[in-house]
Amino acid sequence: MAGISSGLATNYIYACTRMRVRRSLLIPREDYLRMLNMSLPEITRFIGETNYRSEIDELGTSFSGINLVEEALSWNLAKEYQSILELVPGELKYFTASYLRRWDIQNVVTILRGKMQGMRPGKIKEVLIPAGKLDKIALDRLIAEESPERVAEALKGERFYPVIERELPRAMETGSFAHLENELYKGYYARLVADATEGVKGGEIFLKYIRLEIDIRNIQNLFRLRAGHIREDVRELMIPGGSFKVEELQRLSGLEDQDEFIDALKRQVKMTPLLNALEAIRGTTAIHEIEVALTRVQLDQMERMSKRYPFSILPVIVYLEEKKYEVANLRALARGKEAGLPGERLQGYLVM
Amino acid sequence: MVDVGMTLEMVQASQLGMKALGAGLAVGLTGIGAGVAEMAIGSAAVGATAENRDVFGLVLLLTVIPETIVIFGLVVALLLLF
Repeated sequence: MAGISSGLATNYIYACTRMRVRRSLLIPREDYLRMLNMSLPEITRFIGETNYRSEIDELGTSFSGINLVEEALSWNLAKEYQSILELVPGELKYFTASYLRRWDIQNVVTILRGKMQGMRPGKIKEVLIPAGKLDKIALDRLIAEESPERVAEALKGERFYPVIERELPRAMETGSFAHLENELYKGYYARLVADATEGVKGGEIFLKYIRLEIDIRNIQNLFRLRAGHIREDVRELMIPGGSFKVEELQRLSGLEDQDEFIDALKRQVKMTPLLNALEAIRGTTAIHEIEVALTRVQLDQMERMSKRYPFSILPVIVYLEEKKYEVANLRALARGKEAGLPGERLQGYLVM
Repeated sequence: MVDVGMTLEMVQASQLGMKALGAGLAVGLTGIGAGVAEMAIGSAAVGATAENRDVFGLVLLLTVIPETIVIFGLVVALLLLF
Protein backbone atom coordinates (compact mmCIF):
# COMPACT_ATOMS: atom_id res chain seq x y z
CA MET A 1 0.00 0.00 0.00
CA ALA A 2 1.21 3.47 -0.77
CA GLY A 3 2.27 5.74 2.03
CA ILE A 4 3.77 3.05 4.21
CA SER A 5 7.50 2.87 4.39
CA SER A 6 8.89 -0.54 5.03
CA GLY A 7 12.17 0.78 6.44
CA LEU A 8 14.97 -1.42 7.66
CA ALA A 9 14.56 -4.58 9.68
CA THR A 10 16.21 -2.67 12.54
CA ASN A 11 12.99 -0.73 13.10
CA TYR A 12 11.17 -3.98 13.72
CA ILE A 13 13.88 -5.20 16.06
CA TYR A 14 13.79 -1.92 18.00
CA ALA A 15 10.01 -1.89 18.39
CA CYS A 16 9.68 -5.59 19.18
CA THR A 17 12.42 -5.40 21.84
CA ARG A 18 10.64 -2.49 23.51
CA MET A 19 7.42 -4.51 23.53
CA ARG A 20 9.21 -7.47 25.09
CA VAL A 21 10.71 -5.30 27.83
CA ARG A 22 7.31 -3.79 28.56
CA ARG A 23 5.75 -7.22 28.67
CA SER A 24 8.28 -8.32 31.25
CA LEU A 25 7.14 -5.42 33.46
CA LEU A 26 3.49 -6.55 33.55
CA ILE A 27 2.14 -7.72 36.90
CA PRO A 28 3.11 -11.37 37.45
CA ARG A 29 0.79 -14.12 38.68
CA GLU A 30 2.24 -14.12 42.21
CA ASP A 31 1.36 -10.46 42.64
CA TYR A 32 -2.25 -11.12 41.64
CA LEU A 33 -2.39 -13.90 44.21
CA ARG A 34 -1.02 -11.49 46.83
CA MET A 35 -3.52 -8.83 45.83
CA LEU A 36 -6.39 -11.29 46.31
CA ASN A 37 -5.74 -11.04 50.05
CA MET A 38 -5.53 -7.24 50.11
CA SER A 39 -8.20 -4.63 50.75
CA LEU A 40 -9.05 -1.94 48.20
CA PRO A 41 -6.79 0.80 49.70
CA GLU A 42 -3.94 -1.72 49.85
CA ILE A 43 -4.48 -2.65 46.19
CA THR A 44 -4.51 1.05 45.28
CA ARG A 45 -1.23 1.54 47.11
CA PHE A 46 0.24 -1.58 45.55
CA ILE A 47 -0.52 -0.57 41.96
CA GLY A 48 0.58 2.96 42.86
CA GLU A 49 4.07 1.51 43.26
CA THR A 50 4.08 -0.13 39.82
CA ASN A 51 3.62 1.25 36.31
CA TYR A 52 0.48 3.07 37.40
CA ARG A 53 2.28 5.41 39.77
CA SER A 54 2.01 8.61 37.72
CA GLU A 55 -1.74 8.13 37.10
CA ILE A 56 -2.49 7.32 40.75
CA ASP A 57 -0.50 10.40 41.86
CA GLU A 58 -2.09 12.64 39.26
CA LEU A 59 -5.67 11.56 39.92
CA GLY A 60 -5.31 11.08 43.66
CA THR A 61 -6.59 14.60 44.37
CA SER A 62 -9.72 14.39 42.21
CA PHE A 63 -10.85 10.79 42.81
CA SER A 64 -10.82 8.32 45.64
CA GLY A 65 -11.54 4.65 46.32
CA ILE A 66 -12.74 2.54 43.43
CA ASN A 67 -13.11 5.53 41.10
CA LEU A 68 -9.44 6.38 41.52
CA VAL A 69 -8.42 2.85 40.53
CA GLU A 70 -10.82 2.77 37.57
CA GLU A 71 -9.70 6.14 36.25
CA ALA A 72 -6.01 5.41 36.76
CA LEU A 73 -6.34 2.11 34.90
CA SER A 74 -8.20 3.70 31.97
CA TRP A 75 -5.75 6.59 31.72
CA ASN A 76 -2.76 4.30 31.89
CA LEU A 77 -4.15 1.99 29.21
CA ALA A 78 -4.91 4.89 26.88
CA LYS A 79 -1.50 6.49 27.46
CA GLU A 80 0.29 3.19 26.93
CA TYR A 81 -1.54 2.41 23.69
CA GLN A 82 -0.99 5.89 22.31
CA SER A 83 2.72 5.76 23.13
CA ILE A 84 3.03 2.39 21.37
CA LEU A 85 1.29 3.78 18.33
CA GLU A 86 3.92 6.52 18.26
CA LEU A 87 6.95 4.29 18.63
CA VAL A 88 6.14 1.49 16.18
CA PRO A 89 7.41 2.02 12.63
CA GLY A 90 5.89 1.75 9.15
CA GLU A 91 3.73 -1.31 8.61
CA LEU A 92 3.62 -2.09 12.29
CA LYS A 93 1.98 1.29 12.88
CA TYR A 94 -0.57 0.56 10.18
CA PHE A 95 -1.56 -2.76 11.75
CA THR A 96 -1.45 -1.41 15.31
CA ALA A 97 -3.73 1.48 14.38
CA SER A 98 -6.03 -0.99 12.69
CA TYR A 99 -6.13 -3.13 15.84
CA LEU A 100 -6.71 -0.14 18.12
CA ARG A 101 -9.90 0.89 16.28
CA ARG A 102 -11.65 -1.52 18.64
CA TRP A 103 -11.46 1.20 21.30
CA ASP A 104 -13.12 3.71 18.99
CA ILE A 105 -16.10 1.39 18.72
CA GLN A 106 -16.21 0.90 22.48
CA ASN A 107 -16.03 4.66 23.09
CA VAL A 108 -18.62 5.55 20.49
CA VAL A 109 -21.08 2.96 21.78
CA THR A 110 -20.50 4.20 25.34
CA ILE A 111 -21.19 7.79 24.27
CA LEU A 112 -24.33 6.75 22.37
CA ARG A 113 -25.59 4.80 25.37
CA GLY A 114 -24.77 7.69 27.72
CA LYS A 115 -26.58 10.18 25.49
CA MET A 116 -29.57 7.87 25.22
CA GLN A 117 -29.76 7.66 29.03
CA GLY A 118 -29.27 11.42 29.34
CA MET A 119 -26.06 11.13 31.36
CA ARG A 120 -23.93 14.19 32.17
CA PRO A 121 -20.97 14.69 29.78
CA GLY A 122 -18.54 14.57 32.72
CA LYS A 123 -19.86 11.19 33.79
CA ILE A 124 -19.56 9.76 30.26
CA LYS A 125 -16.03 11.07 29.99
CA GLU A 126 -15.01 9.17 33.10
CA VAL A 127 -15.67 5.79 31.49
CA LEU A 128 -14.07 6.46 28.10
CA ILE A 129 -10.70 5.00 27.16
CA PRO A 130 -9.21 7.19 24.42
CA ALA A 131 -6.84 4.52 23.13
CA GLY A 132 -7.96 4.41 19.50
CA LYS A 133 -7.93 6.77 16.54
CA LEU A 134 -10.47 9.08 18.16
CA ASP A 135 -8.35 10.95 20.69
CA LYS A 136 -9.42 12.92 23.76
CA ILE A 137 -10.27 16.04 21.74
CA ALA A 138 -12.38 14.14 19.20
CA LEU A 139 -14.20 12.33 22.00
CA ASP A 140 -14.79 15.59 23.89
CA ARG A 141 -16.40 16.98 20.77
CA LEU A 142 -18.66 13.92 20.55
CA ILE A 143 -19.62 14.14 24.23
CA ALA A 144 -20.59 17.78 23.78
CA GLU A 145 -23.25 16.81 21.21
CA GLU A 146 -26.81 16.83 22.48
CA SER A 147 -28.38 13.65 21.18
CA PRO A 148 -27.30 10.22 19.83
CA GLU A 149 -28.33 11.34 16.33
CA ARG A 150 -26.05 14.36 16.56
CA VAL A 151 -23.20 12.14 17.78
CA ALA A 152 -23.75 9.87 14.78
CA GLU A 153 -23.80 12.89 12.50
CA ALA A 154 -20.46 14.07 13.90
CA LEU A 155 -18.92 10.69 13.05
CA LYS A 156 -19.50 11.16 9.34
CA GLY A 157 -16.32 10.17 7.52
CA GLU A 158 -15.31 7.48 10.00
CA ARG A 159 -14.98 3.94 8.71
CA PHE A 160 -17.85 2.65 10.79
CA TYR A 161 -20.24 5.50 10.04
CA PRO A 162 -22.30 3.51 7.46
CA VAL A 163 -23.07 0.87 10.11
CA ILE A 164 -24.12 3.50 12.66
CA GLU A 165 -26.23 5.30 10.08
CA ARG A 166 -27.99 2.04 9.20
CA GLU A 167 -28.47 0.64 12.69
CA LEU A 168 -28.99 3.70 14.90
CA PRO A 169 -32.71 4.29 14.14
CA ARG A 170 -33.48 0.69 15.10
CA ALA A 171 -31.37 0.94 18.25
CA MET A 172 -33.13 4.18 19.24
CA GLU A 173 -36.51 2.59 18.63
CA THR A 174 -35.86 -0.53 20.67
CA GLY A 175 -33.70 1.25 23.26
CA SER A 176 -31.06 -1.46 22.95
CA PHE A 177 -27.66 -0.91 21.39
CA ALA A 178 -26.72 -4.60 21.44
CA HIS A 179 -27.44 -5.19 17.77
CA LEU A 180 -25.64 -2.00 16.74
CA GLU A 181 -22.64 -3.06 18.82
CA ASN A 182 -22.58 -6.53 17.24
CA GLU A 183 -22.69 -5.05 13.78
CA LEU A 184 -19.91 -2.58 14.60
CA TYR A 185 -17.63 -5.33 15.88
CA LYS A 186 -18.41 -7.54 12.89
CA GLY A 187 -17.49 -4.59 10.69
CA TYR A 188 -14.31 -4.11 12.72
CA TYR A 189 -13.20 -7.71 12.20
CA ALA A 190 -14.10 -7.60 8.49
CA ARG A 191 -12.01 -4.45 8.20
CA LEU A 192 -9.09 -6.09 10.04
CA VAL A 193 -9.16 -8.98 7.58
CA ALA A 194 -9.29 -6.50 4.69
CA ASP A 195 -6.33 -4.53 6.10
CA ALA A 196 -4.31 -7.72 6.52
CA THR A 197 -5.02 -9.01 3.02
CA GLU A 198 -4.55 -5.88 0.98
CA GLY A 199 -0.87 -6.55 0.36
CA VAL A 200 0.98 -4.66 3.09
CA LYS A 201 4.13 -6.56 4.05
CA GLY A 202 3.58 -8.76 7.12
CA GLY A 203 -0.17 -8.90 6.54
CA GLU A 204 -0.30 -12.68 6.40
CA ILE A 205 1.12 -12.89 9.95
CA PHE A 206 -1.43 -10.33 11.16
CA LEU A 207 -4.12 -12.43 9.51
CA LYS A 208 -3.08 -15.45 11.57
CA TYR A 209 -3.73 -13.44 14.73
CA ILE A 210 -7.09 -12.18 13.45
CA ARG A 211 -8.22 -15.73 12.58
CA LEU A 212 -7.26 -16.94 16.05
CA GLU A 213 -9.04 -14.02 17.71
CA ILE A 214 -12.21 -14.55 15.66
CA ASP A 215 -12.21 -18.31 16.34
CA ILE A 216 -11.79 -17.93 20.08
CA ARG A 217 -14.40 -15.15 20.18
CA ASN A 218 -16.88 -17.33 18.27
CA ILE A 219 -16.27 -20.33 20.53
CA GLN A 220 -16.69 -18.13 23.61
CA ASN A 221 -19.92 -16.77 22.18
CA LEU A 222 -21.19 -20.29 21.51
CA PHE A 223 -20.53 -21.22 25.14
CA ARG A 224 -22.24 -18.02 26.29
CA LEU A 225 -25.29 -18.75 24.14
CA ARG A 226 -25.45 -22.26 25.58
CA ALA A 227 -25.21 -20.90 29.11
CA GLY A 228 -28.05 -18.50 28.30
CA HIS A 229 -30.08 -21.35 26.70
CA ILE A 230 -30.47 -19.39 23.49
CA ARG A 231 -31.36 -21.72 20.66
CA GLU A 232 -32.41 -19.20 18.05
CA ASP A 233 -30.60 -18.48 14.80
CA VAL A 234 -27.09 -17.58 15.89
CA ARG A 235 -25.75 -16.82 12.43
CA GLU A 236 -26.19 -13.13 13.01
CA LEU A 237 -24.21 -13.25 16.25
CA MET A 238 -21.18 -15.03 14.84
CA ILE A 239 -18.18 -13.28 13.34
CA PRO A 240 -17.30 -14.40 9.82
CA GLY A 241 -13.68 -14.59 8.67
CA GLY A 242 -12.33 -17.22 11.06
CA SER A 243 -11.50 -20.84 10.32
CA PHE A 244 -15.10 -21.90 11.08
CA LYS A 245 -17.88 -21.27 8.60
CA VAL A 246 -20.88 -19.45 10.08
CA GLU A 247 -23.11 -22.38 9.05
CA GLU A 248 -20.88 -24.78 10.95
CA LEU A 249 -21.16 -22.61 14.04
CA GLN A 250 -24.93 -22.55 13.63
CA ARG A 251 -24.96 -26.35 13.47
CA LEU A 252 -22.75 -26.56 16.58
CA SER A 253 -25.02 -24.23 18.52
CA GLY A 254 -27.93 -26.58 17.80
CA LEU A 255 -26.39 -29.44 19.77
CA GLU A 256 -28.18 -29.97 23.08
CA ASP A 257 -25.69 -31.90 25.13
CA GLN A 258 -22.55 -30.13 26.41
CA ASP A 259 -20.32 -33.20 25.89
CA GLU A 260 -21.64 -33.73 22.41
CA PHE A 261 -21.02 -30.05 21.65
CA ILE A 262 -17.42 -30.20 22.89
CA ASP A 263 -16.79 -33.40 20.89
CA ALA A 264 -18.16 -31.81 17.74
CA LEU A 265 -16.06 -28.71 18.36
CA LYS A 266 -12.94 -30.81 18.92
CA ARG A 267 -13.41 -32.47 15.55
CA GLN A 268 -13.20 -29.05 13.88
CA VAL A 269 -10.23 -27.72 15.84
CA LYS A 270 -6.64 -28.50 14.89
CA MET A 271 -4.74 -26.49 17.47
CA THR A 272 -3.47 -28.82 20.24
CA PRO A 273 -3.56 -26.30 23.14
CA LEU A 274 -7.18 -25.47 22.29
CA LEU A 275 -8.06 -29.18 22.15
CA ASN A 276 -6.53 -29.65 25.60
CA ALA A 277 -8.38 -26.62 26.95
CA LEU A 278 -11.69 -27.89 25.53
CA GLU A 279 -11.07 -31.23 27.22
CA ALA A 280 -10.24 -29.48 30.49
CA ILE A 281 -13.46 -27.44 30.49
CA ARG A 282 -15.66 -30.44 29.71
CA GLY A 283 -17.03 -30.68 33.22
CA THR A 284 -17.14 -26.93 33.86
CA THR A 285 -20.48 -25.18 33.92
CA ALA A 286 -19.39 -21.72 35.12
CA ILE A 287 -19.21 -19.56 32.02
CA HIS A 288 -16.55 -17.22 33.42
CA GLU A 289 -14.18 -20.15 33.98
CA ILE A 290 -14.70 -21.34 30.40
CA GLU A 291 -14.06 -17.83 29.10
CA VAL A 292 -10.92 -17.38 31.16
CA ALA A 293 -9.60 -20.78 30.03
CA LEU A 294 -10.22 -19.94 26.37
CA THR A 295 -8.66 -16.49 26.73
CA ARG A 296 -5.61 -18.06 28.34
CA VAL A 297 -5.32 -20.45 25.37
CA GLN A 298 -5.54 -17.52 22.98
CA LEU A 299 -2.81 -15.57 24.79
CA ASP A 300 -0.53 -18.60 25.04
CA GLN A 301 -1.02 -19.41 21.39
CA MET A 302 -0.29 -15.80 20.40
CA GLU A 303 2.83 -15.89 22.52
CA ARG A 304 3.94 -19.04 20.72
CA MET A 305 3.22 -17.46 17.33
CA SER A 306 5.13 -14.32 18.30
CA LYS A 307 8.18 -16.45 18.96
CA ARG A 308 7.86 -18.08 15.57
CA TYR A 309 7.71 -14.63 13.96
CA PRO A 310 9.86 -12.59 16.36
CA PHE A 311 10.03 -9.47 14.20
CA SER A 312 6.46 -8.99 13.09
CA ILE A 313 3.27 -7.37 14.35
CA LEU A 314 2.71 -10.26 16.76
CA PRO A 315 4.98 -9.19 19.67
CA VAL A 316 3.21 -5.81 19.58
CA ILE A 317 -0.26 -7.36 19.57
CA VAL A 318 0.69 -9.83 22.31
CA TYR A 319 1.72 -6.95 24.54
CA LEU A 320 -1.40 -4.91 23.71
CA GLU A 321 -3.64 -7.88 24.54
CA GLU A 322 -1.81 -8.77 27.74
CA LYS A 323 -1.96 -5.17 28.87
CA LYS A 324 -5.68 -5.15 28.18
CA TYR A 325 -6.16 -8.21 30.37
CA GLU A 326 -3.93 -6.78 33.09
CA VAL A 327 -6.16 -3.74 33.29
CA ALA A 328 -9.26 -5.94 33.19
CA ASN A 329 -7.85 -8.10 36.00
CA LEU A 330 -7.02 -5.13 38.21
CA ARG A 331 -10.44 -3.66 37.57
CA ALA A 332 -12.12 -6.96 38.45
CA LEU A 333 -10.01 -7.21 41.59
CA ALA A 334 -10.80 -3.67 42.71
CA ARG A 335 -14.50 -3.98 41.90
CA GLY A 336 -14.70 -7.36 43.58
CA LYS A 337 -13.02 -6.10 46.72
CA GLU A 338 -15.34 -3.09 46.75
CA ALA A 339 -18.30 -5.47 46.60
CA GLY A 340 -16.80 -7.55 49.42
CA LEU A 341 -16.31 -10.74 47.39
CA PRO A 342 -13.91 -13.31 48.84
CA GLY A 343 -10.50 -13.80 47.19
CA GLU A 344 -11.18 -17.39 46.08
CA ARG A 345 -14.23 -16.34 44.13
CA LEU A 346 -12.38 -13.45 42.45
CA GLN A 347 -9.53 -15.70 41.40
CA GLY A 348 -11.83 -17.48 38.95
CA TYR A 349 -12.36 -14.23 37.05
CA LEU A 350 -8.72 -13.31 36.56
CA VAL A 351 -6.76 -14.09 33.40
CA MET A 352 -3.37 -14.91 34.92
CA MET B 1 68.00 -16.36 -20.87
CA VAL B 2 64.24 -16.41 -21.34
CA ASP B 3 62.63 -13.05 -21.07
CA VAL B 4 59.29 -13.28 -19.18
CA GLY B 5 58.80 -9.55 -19.30
CA MET B 6 59.21 -9.10 -15.55
CA THR B 7 62.19 -8.12 -13.46
CA LEU B 8 62.76 -9.32 -9.89
CA GLU B 9 61.90 -5.86 -8.61
CA MET B 10 58.58 -5.99 -10.39
CA VAL B 11 57.73 -9.40 -8.86
CA GLN B 12 58.67 -8.21 -5.40
CA ALA B 13 56.59 -5.06 -5.79
CA SER B 14 53.63 -7.09 -7.00
CA GLN B 15 53.88 -9.43 -4.01
CA LEU B 16 53.95 -6.45 -1.67
CA GLY B 17 50.88 -5.06 -3.42
CA MET B 18 49.02 -8.33 -3.06
CA LYS B 19 49.84 -8.45 0.64
CA ALA B 20 48.59 -4.91 1.13
CA LEU B 21 45.43 -5.77 -0.77
CA GLY B 22 44.90 -8.89 1.37
CA ALA B 23 45.45 -6.92 4.55
CA GLY B 24 42.98 -4.27 3.38
CA LEU B 25 40.37 -6.91 2.54
CA ALA B 26 40.87 -8.64 5.90
CA VAL B 27 40.11 -5.45 7.83
CA GLY B 28 37.49 -4.09 5.43
CA LEU B 29 35.37 -7.22 5.07
CA THR B 30 35.46 -8.08 8.76
CA GLY B 31 34.46 -4.47 9.43
CA ILE B 32 31.41 -4.88 7.19
CA GLY B 33 30.60 -8.20 8.87
CA ALA B 34 30.80 -6.65 12.31
CA GLY B 35 28.64 -3.74 11.15
CA VAL B 36 25.91 -6.07 9.87
CA ALA B 37 25.96 -8.07 13.10
CA GLU B 38 25.89 -4.92 15.23
CA MET B 39 22.98 -3.46 13.30
CA ALA B 40 20.49 -5.89 14.82
CA ILE B 41 22.09 -6.00 18.25
CA GLY B 42 22.38 -2.22 18.39
CA SER B 43 18.75 -1.59 17.55
CA ALA B 44 17.62 -4.13 20.13
CA ALA B 45 20.03 -2.53 22.62
CA VAL B 46 18.60 0.95 22.01
CA GLY B 47 15.09 -0.46 22.38
CA ALA B 48 15.94 -2.13 25.67
CA THR B 49 17.73 0.96 27.01
CA ALA B 50 14.79 3.18 26.07
CA GLU B 51 12.59 1.08 28.34
CA ASN B 52 15.08 0.47 31.13
CA ARG B 53 18.17 2.62 31.56
CA ASP B 54 19.79 0.20 33.98
CA VAL B 55 20.66 -2.24 31.21
CA PHE B 56 22.82 0.29 29.33
CA GLY B 57 26.16 -1.15 30.50
CA LEU B 58 25.16 -4.70 29.66
CA VAL B 59 23.75 -3.96 26.21
CA LEU B 60 26.78 -1.85 25.34
CA LEU B 61 28.93 -4.89 26.02
CA LEU B 62 26.65 -7.11 23.92
CA THR B 63 26.68 -4.59 21.07
CA VAL B 64 30.48 -4.58 20.77
CA ILE B 65 30.93 -8.35 20.88
CA PRO B 66 30.95 -8.60 17.04
CA GLU B 67 33.94 -6.22 17.11
CA THR B 68 36.02 -9.31 17.86
CA ILE B 69 35.66 -10.28 14.20
CA VAL B 70 37.40 -7.03 13.21
CA ILE B 71 40.19 -7.77 15.69
CA PHE B 72 40.73 -11.13 13.99
CA GLY B 73 40.84 -9.30 10.66
CA LEU B 74 43.31 -6.79 12.05
CA VAL B 75 45.56 -9.55 13.39
CA VAL B 76 45.52 -11.29 10.00
CA ALA B 77 46.32 -7.99 8.30
CA LEU B 78 49.26 -7.32 10.62
CA LEU B 79 50.59 -10.87 10.09
CA LEU B 80 50.40 -10.32 6.35
CA LEU B 81 52.19 -7.00 6.43
CA PHE B 82 54.98 -7.74 8.93
